[in-house]
Amino acid sequence: MSLVQQVILNADEELRYPTPSEIRMIQNFCKTGERRIRIAQTLADHEKELVEKGCIKFWKRCPVTPSNSGNPRKTASCQRDQGWYIRLIAYCVLAGNEKPLTDIGTIGMKEMYISLGIPLANWVEAVRCLKEEAIALLGEEDAVEVIPYFDLIIQTLALPGAPYFVHNGTLEY
Amino acid sequence: MQDAITSLINASDVQGRYLDNAGVEKLRAYFQSGELRSRAATTISANSSSIVTQAVAKSLMYTDITAPGGNMYTCRRYAACIRDLDYFLRYATYAMLAGDPSILDERILNGLRETYNSLGVPIGGTIRAIQAMKEVTADLVGAEAGKEMGVYFDYICSGLS
Repeated sequence: MSLVQQVILNADEELRYPTPSEIRMIQNFCKTGERRIRIAQTLADHEKELVEKGCIKFWKRCPVTPSNSGNPRKTASCQRDQGWYIRLIAYCVLAGNEKPLTDIGTIGMKEMYISLGIPLANWVEAVRCLKEEAIALLGEEDAVEVIPYFDLIIQTLALPGAPYFVHNGTLEY
Repeated sequence: MQDAITSLINASDVQGRYLDNAGVEKLRAYFQSGELRSRAATTISANSSSIVTQAVAKSLMYTDITAPGGNMYTCRRYAACIRDLDYFLRYATYAMLAGDPSILDERILNGLRETYNSLGVPIGGTIRAIQAMKEVTADLVGAEAGKEMGVYFDYICSGLS
């Protein structure tokens, strides 16, 4: 789903034409199109590099993790997934919203990794490393377009549900 | 529904690839036509009821269809007819904004012919009205945007016939 599609579906829900402000959103979206195409292409061209650099960083921070256990199959699948998430983020940059990422990549992601036995905290760290590498690659200005999507992945994985503090009866916190 | 962007994204995702050069070119063309599309949509939404009125005047008003015994005779039927034309115009505008006709299939054309046949609505007259609407719209928004709108009006017609 892209921004244009979102506008249309909202308008159709109310049997009306898109409002002037919605039209302006579409105009801005198209105006920044060239820049977003460029960012997506940079991500595409540097996917391998990003993943490799990200992994080096990740293994330094989390040396005990399945992808660093010496099992080449585990390493390969971890890196493949990282590449996939970069691809989904490139789609999001083009579409102008997070829908491609959520539809393809984040709904059910947590459950899937839990059932595969992947330590979630480590995967969060891996995504964080990828994000840092992406910022270094794109530069501050262009990175603004991709940071929210990396954060969305991290949020989806890290959210533990409603915070719950155990109160043991003492009043000291 | 899909639009020009999502249809490209979905096609590449199935193969697990980034957009290829042809896809990027299509995307670029869409972004460049964004200004044109938004302006046309604004004009159409400001004039939607007069477009329908003019299209009806041009195609159906003075024919047998509005005379007693015709399918637009009685105000109720007349009102139903212009309501449908209003829908067609709105959905054609959506499709034009999206640059993709899939919303027409989803929200209008699925089962429309069967519905019209069972209600006794003449398909030929409907198509004539849609073609008239195409001409009126093209006069209003200019040749370039009119051509783009025409694609979606024709799509509705071919789905009906």
